[in-house]
Amino acid sequence: MPKVLIVDDEPHIRLLLEQTLEELEDEGVELLIAENGAEALDIIKKEKPEVVFLDVMMPKKNGFEVCHTVKNELGMGDVYIVLLTAKGQEFDKQKGNDVGSDVYLTKPFNPDEIVEIARKILGI
Amino acid sequence: MSEIPLKRIVRKKDVLKVITSMKAFFRTPFQILDIDGAVIFGDSAATGSTKFPIKAWDEDIGWVAGDREAEVLATVLSYMAKTEHEKKALGAETLEKYKEITLLYDIAERLASCLDVGQVSRLIIDEVIKLVKSDSISVMLLDRETGLLKIIAASGEDFSPKTEMKPGEGIAGSVLMTGKAEIVNDVHSDKRFIPGANKVSSLICAPMKIKDDFVGLINLSCQEPYTYDAEDLKLLTALASQSAVAIENARLYEDLRKTFISTVYGLARAIGQRDPFTGKHTKRVMEFSTAIGREMGLPDKEIQSIQLAAILHDIGKIAIPDEILEKKGQLTESELATFKKHPVIGEELVKDIKQLDHIIPGIRHHHECFNGSGYPDGIGGESISILARIIAVADAFDAMTSDRSYRKGLQRVLALDELKKNAGKQFDAEVVKAFLRVFRKKPELFKET
Repeated sequence: MPKVLIVDDEPHIRLLLEQTLEELEDEGVELLIAENGAEALDIIKKEKPEVVFLDVMMPKKNGFEVCHTVKNELGMGDVYIVLLTAKGQEFDKQKGNDVGSDVYLTKPFNPDEIVEIARKILGI
Repeated sequence: MSEIPLKRIVRKKDVLKVITSMKAFFRTPFQILDIDGAVIFGDSAATGSTKFPIKAWDEDIGWVAGDREAEVLATVLSYMAKTEHEKKALGAETLEKYKEITLLYDIAERLASCLDVGQVSRLIIDEVIKLVKSDSISVMLLDRETGLLKIIAASGEDFSPKTEMKPGEGIAGSVLMTGKAEIVNDVHSDKRFIPGANKVSSLICAPMKIKDDFVGLINLSCQEPYTYDAEDLKLLTALASQSAVAIENARLYEDLRKTFISTVYGLARAIGQRDPFTGKHTKRVMEFSTAIGREMGLPDKEIQSIQLAAILHDIGKIAIPDEILEKKGQLTESELATFKKHPVIGEELVKDIKQLDHIIPGIRHHHECFNGSGYPDGIGGESISILARIIAVADAFDAMTSDRSYRKGLQRVLALDELKKNAGKQFDAEVVKAFLRVFRKKPELFKET
């Protein structure tokens, strides 16, 4: 079963992303949720999701660090990582590239775009 | 409310934790079954025992099968299912709001980059169509001079762009007076309603205001009865206030542009004062150049540049002595050399005006030739800006066909022949072709003046 992981420390953003991606559940996609970077890494190692929507600004382990670990240390380059950054915070594109993220989106994200990306990567 | 299958609830991390810890605690086996009786979780040993329903909102969504302990689990799962449903409803609502915000955000961004009143109005209409149900939409602006409301853009069938309304007249006029958006779900029972060409049953009208300064209105209506609600009103009001700012911006920009253009005209008239011929000539070159630019399908921005460059192309002649400009007969070599300085002098005159930066090539190079034999730089081909290549053709044609104090103008056909003969040499052949098409399509441009 294809898996999508949502990582955000803010409960309402998690809820939003979960609701946004819910339609995929009906097509057999499993939605996984993590509330922080450390939990995200655990889930990624264990469940090997195809796509991760990853918040950048999180306490403890931030999105950049998680992305770097997944792509470079765990050697899981196939995991498609979408970094989510808040509007107003200048997104460090260079850093995004350095840690190997695949794409980044600015919050407020467009829900349709989120679904579109997930569908494209999962091929459904 | 849409259902969440029990299976999905059971898979949730928190729920699963409760179930597994209960399983460890229970002495008897149990099974969790979905509404169709399929096993989602548990022991086959529990088959055949009592089934306790799991309910969410009074509806059975599955069962826990087992002995009495199973009933406890059924109660807990019912409670958790209810919570999940509530969470989902909340999520759906939040998502809905979030989508609205995203949309408004997106609209605001696009509105902000739009500097033409008509374009802003059409953009508003395109967005309203997506946001709120309607058969026709119109954007009305308040004309500050006449105090009348005028439709500036509209969708749907039959709208008369000439429709004008006074403040206080009709529902729109009333909204203008109160400054408050209104829903009228049954227009025919509203005394203020003035029937127009469009069939209308229900409408919303929202004012576009900046603080208390009234800019205009957005109207939308349905032909068949429809119940607009507070949500529609709120959305339209939000959009209307964004639109007000965008329209005001576009108006200010337009004012600024007009001021700028009239200043440029003033500058060009200064040459006209010195030399009346050049004055009229400038106007015609501007018209021809514009027509050529449009014929060649150049974008609006470029057309605006062409107009400015055409108006100012001969501005450098201000510095050329009268006896050279008005001399009947051949210029001497040194007179000709002086005359040929006018494109460079023109550049000198405008080069410090930042807003005219982009048209300098049109001024400096309007006497360059496509084959590189012109002046002042002797450049050729596409190194000569398209502004200059177009002005060169328009300028040459008008110069050839105009009467001067020292000679009669050439017949137009002969002038056109001359252009054709020099296409690819003095002139860009593509520009000449476009000009010939303009000549055919727009005879009104070539009336005697």
